[in-house]
Amino acid sequence: MAASRGTMLLRRAASSLPGLALLPRLFWAQAAPAASLLRLQRPLLRVFSTETDPAASAEPVAFDTESRFKEKPWEYLETEEYIERYGNKPVWFGYRRNHKGPIPPQKTRKTCIRGKKIAGNPCPICRDQKLHVDYRNVKLLEQFICSHTGVTFHPTRTGVCMKQHKRLTQAIDQARDHGLVSFHIPLVTLQGKDYTNQHQAVTKTPPAPSLQSQAPWYPWYEWQQPPEKDIARIRRIYKDYLKEETGPA
Amino acid sequence: MAGLGAPWWRSLWRRAAAPLALQRPGRALLWSRGYGQDAGSEADKKESDVTKPCFMDELVQSLLSKMTGLDLQKVFRPIKQELKPPTYKLMTEKQLAEATRKAIEEAKELLKMPPVLSEREPIDDVLAEDRILEGTETVKYVFTDITYSTPHRERFIVVREPSGVLRKATWEERDRMIQVYFSREGRKLVPPPIFKDENLKTVFREDRHEDVLNLCIAQFEPDSANYIRVHHQTYEDIDKHAKYDLLRSTRHFGGMVWYLVNRKKTDGLLIDMIQRNLIDDATCLINLYHMLHPDCQSAKEAKEEEVYGVDLIKVFMKTESKKVGYIELALQAYQETLASSAAL
Repeated sequence: MAASRGTMLLRRAASSLPGLALLPRLFWAQAAPAASLLRLQRPLLRVFSTETDPAASAEPVAFDTESRFKEKPWEYLETEEYIERYGNKPVWFGYRRNHKGPIPPQKTRKTCIRGKKIAGNPCPICRDQKLHVDYRNVKLLEQFICSHTGVTFHPTRTGVCMKQHKRLTQAIDQARDHGLVSFHIPLVTLQGKDYTNQHQAVTKTPPAPSLQSQAPWYPWYEWQQPPEKDIARIRRIYKDYLKEETGPA
Repeated sequence: MAGLGAPWWRSLWRRAAAPLALQRPGRALLWSRGYGQDAGSEADKKESDVTKPCFMDELVQSLLSKMTGLDLQKVFRPIKQELKPPTYKLMTEKQLAEATRKAIEEAKELLKMPPVLSEREPIDDVLAEDRILEGTETVKYVFTDITYSTPHRERFIVVREPSGVLRKATWEERDRMIQVYFSREGRKLVPPPIFKDENLKTVFREDRHEDVLNLCIAQFEPDSANYIRVHHQTYEDIDKHAKYDLLRSTRHFGGMVWYLVNRKKTDGLLIDMIQRNLIDDATCLINLYHMLHPDCQSAKEAKEEEVYGVDLIKVFMKTESKKVGYIELALQAYQETLASSAAL
């Protein structure tokens, strides 16, 4: 219990300070008794952080750059930061999943980010918050399509989580629909089809006479005055119940 | 009739110019209704015995296919697909010739041109009006006849509006409903945004005109407005930037030439052909022009003087073309290269 609290604190500290996210977990946190844990809680944040306000340091950093690249996601791939980090290799190059045994599970994790919690060793897209999966940044999408076969890479190859893989597939589909990404178009032949529009299903049918003459479609759409005999008969039957007609009816 | 120096198609021309009464009357109706932009062809038939040529005429098709060419390397170029290890075959000369012959036949199948039709007439017929149904529903109902054996152009599709009017479905509604019940490969229910003007511009910048035309054929019917609009925009862009070589050896080249010749915009194409030393194709183009516009001055001159080859191009250049200077320059360059190669 105490050990888990300590590790949670460490993780919060690690996630709030991006440079130190890759530090290994300190082993002595688990084995230590309660006294050393008390020492952990206070000064750890102060030692490593440059900010003085402990409440603000818990928030994730760099929101404004993220929103800048949200509008134009392709700009990030031109920046020095990107080139320094990735060079001319694809974004997923060198990423290694952590799993038990030699054969990786055929599905990667469902998602790296649940609410505000980020899983350990996030996938190549989730770990860089400035990368946005958008149908317009073709350079990023093409890193996930094989240049020889035109097939999207399986997530076990690239290491992305299933949620990002789904978003990637949708973005690639959208980009293909907009004509930004080229792909092989299967041949459709139009020979041997009859294009004469002769059948009455598609040619002009002469309108019905009642439509042409502006008469009602069924005669009973308009008010049809019943014959006098019937009116007189009904009046005679209901003579006792008829109200006196006073004024215009 | 076919003299010693006359090209091979002159005999075909005489045959095609014979009156069409020898054919079945249904065929003439078929051709005049379904094929070609010959709205006034029935009037022409009464006036003269030589009718305006259709896109599907044998002579026209032979000329267009000659201009398209048959580059096996381009038709069977490698495409992006699942890779298999390559196979190697050891063949004798005879087997190689046989394989090449089969490849040429298959290529001819692939190069069959899609039809060029005029835009279809819109459907707006009211079949019934039932005012009693007004106010009962808030949505339209579409009734489609899904008998498997009826051709799609004979299928009855009607729409009941909320006002009670029963009308025939419009062409767009028809296409959508038929795609819902009888989906075709490569066709989407909603046309993809690539066919919008801004996206078309992006695609044209990347020289993917052939892809756009293939997608258009898969998505739209040949007589729909969108099909015709996309094709015309593609042809205009190619003509503007002189990218004729992109469509050479594809099934779209014939349609493009037909479009340009009908609108008398052949100068760019002619210059391109002369620059690539395709003088035969250039003469074919000019002959097609004369067939479609028999009243123009160069057609009359050519008929009187019986010119062939480079002289025909010169006659055409002087009378009909607007970019005389460019064509002259191209012809000069061609003749210089001829002279230098002859000297060597």
